[in-house]
Amino acid sequence: MKQDYFSANNIKYIDYKDIEILKKFLGPNGKIVGHKRTGVTSKNQRQLTSAIKHARFLGLLPFVIK
Amino acid sequence: MPENNSDVANEVLEEGNSQVYELGYLLVPTIKEEDMPISYGNLKELVSSFRGAVIADEMPKMINLSYTMSKVISNVRNKFSTAYFGWVKFTMDSQKVLELKKNLDLDPNFIRFLILKTVKENTIAAKRFIRGDIYKKPKTKKTAENETALPINKEEIDKEIEALIAA
Repeated sequence: MKQDYFSANNIKYIDYKDIEILKKFLGPNGKIVGHKRTGVTSKNQRQLTSAIKHARFLGLLPFVIK
Repeated sequence: MPENNSDVANEVLEEGNSQVYELGYLLVPTIKEEDMPISYGNLKELVSSFRGAVIADEMPKMINLSYTMSKVISNVRNKFSTAYFGWVKFTMDSQKVLELKKNLDLDPNFIRFLILKTVKENTIAAKRFIRGDIYKKPKTKKTAENETALPINKEEIDKEIEALIAA
């Protein structure tokens, strides 16, 4: 079983500006990878998705990678 | 005494309504680099004019956007692939934030902005140091291996020299 990245690194608040971390959870097309593959807890996965969506809105992350 | 009590009660109420917010924004790239501190200062003044106390902030930096954005400014549709990205973290009354949003909506310098509820603590810097340490560790191991390899070479050289002297 893969461990939760955020609890392992003691990250309590997932920031939308931290693109390097958020990029780890994007697939090759820019889609958000599910918790089954990443091992992120449900609570953190919810925070992660909203952080990625906020970053997308401000143009820090792409909606689609061609 | 009753006056003091009411003051305290008001303060408590104000504290109860105030929240930590973060304003992330994209400014139009047509602003010159020299004029950047002016619009940055104006924004901070705007936040403090709504009784906001700035906790942390970052100067707007030019970034390449992940996709092109369009905004209609004075009936002309403008497309942007670069923008100045900056953010401000502040505490403000929940009612005042709505007023701030209305004010920012009318500002032509903003391509987009985002107001979020957040926490006081800064999380970005701490994470990067942890990751840096993890990456540095394998490098130190490699150098240690190289050091152990060196004495073996010296012994071999010594043997070769002795063989030469004997010859």
